[in-house]
Amino acid sequence: MSANPPLQVDHESYEYACTVVDGCLTCGDVAVPVTVVEASQPDAICRDDHDQQGLVGVELVAPVSKGDRLLVHGGVAIARLEANA
Amino acid sequence: MKFVDEFRDGDLARSLATQIAALAEPGRHYKVMEVCGGHTHTIYKHGIEDHLPETVELVHGPGCPVCVIPMGRVDDAIALAKLPDVIFTCFGDMMRVPGGDGSLIDAKAEGADVRFVYSPLDALKIARKNPDKQVIFLAIGFETTAPSTALTLMRAKAEGLENFSVMCNHVTIVPPLKALLESPDLRLDAFIGPGHVSTVVGCRPYEFIPAQYGQPVVVAGFEPLDLLQSIYMIMKQLGEGRAEVENQYGRVVPWEGNMRALDVLDEVFELRPFFEWRGLGFISQSALKLSDAYADFDAELRFDVPGVRVADPKACQCGEVLKGVIKPWECKVFGTACTPETPIGTCMVSSEGACAAYYNFGRFARSKARTGS
Repeated sequence: MSANPPLQVDHESYEYACTVVDGCLTCGDVAVPVTVVEASQPDAICRDDHDQQGLVGVELVAPVSKGDRLLVHGGVAIARLEANA
Repeated sequence: MKFVDEFRDGDLARSLATQIAALAEPGRHYKVMEVCGGHTHTIYKHGIEDHLPETVELVHGPGCPVCVIPMGRVDDAIALAKLPDVIFTCFGDMMRVPGGDGSLIDAKAEGADVRFVYSPLDALKIARKNPDKQVIFLAIGFETTAPSTALTLMRAKAEGLENFSVMCNHVTIVPPLKALLESPDLRLDAFIGPGHVSTVVGCRPYEFIPAQYGQPVVVAGFEPLDLLQSIYMIMKQLGEGRAEVENQYGRVVPWEGNMRALDVLDEVFELRPFFEWRGLGFISQSALKLSDAYADFDAELRFDVPGVRVADPKACQCGEVLKGVIKPWECKVFGTACTPETPIGTCMVSSEGACAAYYNFGRFARSKARTGS
């Protein structure tokens, strides 16, 4: 776990993930594993494995709880993952 | 990193490669198509082909959502982006896809308000912040991405947002597979099924492939060992004379998919009678449009779009690349007139496109092999 506090980002700050220089995560059908930090509906605060934190739409996998592992594509969780995945 | 490091283990990769080689029957050539552009990217990035026997050929399929968008649709998008008081939003790679007369990034340079977003939910946020503007989202992608568009539209409808609409280009995975299987140009032995699409649709939609065409399908993850294991599973099926759908990516993909996501797609979208795929032509019931319940949010109904069909540049052979008929380097303009910086065809735009993936990762190995250095 990083000693630094997680970077708080919202969707628009996620531009690093979708750039015309490095390619677009969403276009590439890339899905990102995240951990639920604060459960809420319809968006939960989630953290990815690079300590980036942001809002994720969780309607498709609800209900979610703190610590749940989700797979996120395009800002929306599309699947649940095993606890250690 | 959990579920990354263990799927990039070199010793395991060599062991799998040895087992694959042992399963290859002498004198038989195997053609295996990886449907998904994400798999193509992994294959080139990690040199998977270098670990396979020469008789096991990987054919790159049409599963890059950017690559299959025809030029006419790009021109329609540009026309919308240039309307007054419009903020046009799209994913990053779509900005550079060439239409008949420039790209969205060219339109932006000329003054159109074009913004790239990571999620359709970002576009919705822009609409909330700009009530005096019409915000249009260019939706592309397979069943992986369509649920995020659907959820965004459901939220827009619930909020009564009148300044948000979607130009829908979502496509579905099964019809192009059927088209490929019926194509006289291509004779395949098996498919590596798309991982993240299958998270939503599950594995059942592929059952027609072994049932009707006698070919194995293995749904695969995106790490190097995922792909090698999937090829091993395919070779094992072929060796034993079996043809089944198997799920290598079980840690992520449920066999039945995400039923809630499928329900949401059913509510928000309906199938188009036909849709043009770059390189594959018109395929019936292969794409989505907004359902009647969401027609108020359909940008193509709210605004006038030219709707003109534009032929691909003659020099561009994206169609053959997308069908797996030729390899990227066999295209006449690959790496010369067409590069990631100045793409002529869509396959050179997205990092998932076969040409871009090969240009970025594969060409050095090929050049090295040719020169023997």
